[in-house]
Amino acid sequence: MKIFVLFDGRTRHIEPDGDPENCPLETSPDRLVNELKAGQERLRATPVDDLIGLCDAAGRAWTQPGNEVARMVGGLAIGFLPLWLRRANLETLLAQALRGDSGAIDGFVPLAPSSKRQHRAQPRGLLVHWVAGNVPLLGMISVIQGLLTKNANLVKVSRQNAGVLPYFLAALAQVRYRRPDGKEVDGTLLTDAVRAIYVDREDSAAAALSTLADVRVAWGGREAVEAIMNLPRRFGTEDIVFGPKTSFVVVGAEKLAGETEARKAATLVARDAVALGQRGCNSPHTIFVERGGALTPEAFASLLGEELGRAARQVPPDVAPQEAFQILSWRAEYDMRGQAWYSDGVRWSVFYSDEDRGLATPCYGRTLFVRPVDDVFEVAAHCSINTQTAGLALGERRLKLAEALTARGVERCPEVGQMSLYEVPWDGMYPMDRMVRWVSA
Amino acid sequence: MTAQMGAIDELLRHPPYATQPGEHRPLLRAAVREAMQHHCANCPPFARWYQKQGADPHAEIEDLARVPFLPVSIFKRVALESVSERDVVRVLKSSATSSQTPSRVVLDRITRDRQMRTLAVLMSALMGSTRRPFVVLDAAAAQGADVELSARVAGLRGYLMMASETHYALDAHNGELELNADKLEDLLSGLQARQLPVCLIGYTYMLYQYVVVPLARAGRRLQLPAGSMVLHFGGWKRLERQAVDRARLNAEIEKVFAMDETCVRDVYGFTEQLGIIYPDDGHGVRLAPVYSEVIVRDPVTLEPLPDGAPGLLEFITPLPHSYPGIALLLDDMGRIVSRDREHGGRYGTRFEVLGRARGSEIRGCGDTLPEQIYQVREMARAQA
Repeated sequence: MKIFVLFDGRTRHIEPDGDPENCPLETSPDRLVNELKAGQERLRATPVDDLIGLCDAAGRAWTQPGNEVARMVGGLAIGFLPLWLRRANLETLLAQALRGDSGAIDGFVPLAPSSKRQHRAQPRGLLVHWVAGNVPLLGMISVIQGLLTKNANLVKVSRQNAGVLPYFLAALAQVRYRRPDGKEVDGTLLTDAVRAIYVDREDSAAAALSTLADVRVAWGGREAVEAIMNLPRRFGTEDIVFGPKTSFVVVGAEKLAGETEARKAATLVARDAVALGQRGCNSPHTIFVERGGALTPEAFASLLGEELGRAARQVPPDVAPQEAFQILSWRAEYDMRGQAWYSDGVRWSVFYSDEDRGLATPCYGRTLFVRPVDDVFEVAAHCSINTQTAGLALGERRLKLAEALTARGVERCPEVGQMSLYEVPWDGMYPMDRMVRWVSA
Repeated sequence: MTAQMGAIDELLRHPPYATQPGEHRPLLRAAVREAMQHHCANCPPFARWYQKQGADPHAEIEDLARVPFLPVSIFKRVALESVSERDVVRVLKSSATSSQTPSRVVLDRITRDRQMRTLAVLMSALMGSTRRPFVVLDAAAAQGADVELSARVAGLRGYLMMASETHYALDAHNGELELNADKLEDLLSGLQARQLPVCLIGYTYMLYQYVVVPLARAGRRLQLPAGSMVLHFGGWKRLERQAVDRARLNAEIEKVFAMDETCVRDVYGFTEQLGIIYPDDGHGVRLAPVYSEVIVRDPVTLEPLPDGAPGLLEFITPLPHSYPGIALLLDDMGRIVSRDREHGGRYGTRFEVLGRARGSEIRGCGDTLPEQIYQVREMARAQA
């Protein structure tokens, strides 16, 4: 097994589109861990407010016109990342995860007013992240949460897009934040507790990394996360699994009263489909549309085609030939037995048939399957632990449908247009809560 | 038969390979137009799709690259027939190696006759018009006689019309295939004594796995009669997993059969356009005959690519009469090597097949659903 170090806490050794096997070799996993632990000690000694301040500074910088990182963010369709890094968001996420008091990660705090005992969230230690290659955003979100909870972070990236996460980590190392007392801290305070690596042999490396971990964080497809969960681990190791799921949209008849309102919903659906390159577990593939409105589901599909065409002007960056072929297959099928709206090339596609039921097989490449339902509550029958986000375009029935869907396994029911936002709870948990040990004194 | 049927018939009377640059293309375009008119008139789903592409089947075809093309997988998804059921004489199913659903195409007499005719002339062009003994690298038990034939058996049957006699190299024992090397050696010795060049024919992976590997392991080298050929087909997917490429296969064949390496030919073709075969020149380069044209398309823009650039392969032929398999895009990657450059007195489009198009690599958390969900979906579809 060879360990290639793509980012060593200060320096990245790979271009965003570079070959990870050209990076420096590390022969001792123990040395990596020891370096990380040293970086973690600096984190532990720093108030979490400073860590959030650094993230906030990164989020601000990465939205500035002309900023190089901002251009990268735009190119990868991960505009959500700098917004997610902003102070208001992170403070909320951390407080939610830490029982309402983010100060618990800095020291003992009185969480239970009636008790004399105080509580504290101790970092678990070393987080090993396995990050899927197609959604670089996930890697950053995973690592930032590990850092805010003051853990050391070893990130194993996939060969695909191996250089993207190191790019953002190196950019984070460059960030500076001036504290209220005037003292300045820089991003290495965060990144000294991170290493991004690539390993050439998945099997032996995976087992070695797994036994190092205090927390195993796995993002990816079913086969990948199952393989990680089946690896040997030390007693007490925590697992945070973001496995394969699919997401959908439900559009109620009340949103189809007129073209203006329906188009607004279609615009939001299109926005959700384009975000994250439709690769996220929170990206919609199936759009359930209720019959009975002034506009039919088919008419909504047509509107959706127009709006998706507007939202997906750029050629998607990562359509594999096999994927393009699948998209063409669906187009031909729906041209023959239903309705299809699509671009030249394979930028986007919308399909509809009166006969279709249930969840569509995801096709990716900004492909949406519109399916009619007589009643939005029918959708619950198609839900399970494999369905993650249901974007809802509904009126007063929203919470009632959310109750039905979440009872069947759906994890989130945001308004349509907000499906791509990473928020908590996620996949049924507060991830940062799982990255700490709760102790009392 | 309508007057317009003439273009296809005329094309089929043409020698298999062009002897002048582009001499056949006007006729091929006319034949493709004739075929499109037939399918638009007789296959309503196809007509609907064709119209959706903004194409007029009656319009002259000026550029084959502008003819609307279907992804070949459409035959796994939609029943497309351009003749009445009573005219169907055979149903072909593909091997479904890369998906769970086999492709299904129906053959009528017209299609079957065209396929046999083109296959016969293309095989003659490859190995001469004299029939020769064929040794099938399979077991005899693999042959079926049902109306619904697997594409493997159907494809092989077509080749065997060039056989003066047919032998099978493998034995089947309890469902396991095994080479009887002694029997094969005796057979080849007998044919050599009669000075009969032989054709060893079979799937690429079977040739390697069931013939070449056992012979090599046993340290045997069998003499093939002079002028013999090895034809293999079916693709490299399984051998790629074993890191066996063309060069290695040919080298291994040379070790176990005493023969000229250039007589090993990899034949490319596919169920949905049976009758047209693309044997390579021993080094992976193939020539499109006059009955078809090959186009390489950009996977994202779908536009034709410049010669030399790799992309998705599209094949156009007017042969299919019973189903609209005229212009088909495959999920195989390839590239155009040259166009209308003379080679052995033949002109046309030369191309390479580079293998199956790659899929997306490791996905994010939005990876495909567990199989159970698909099964539910398929069941619901079946019940509907």
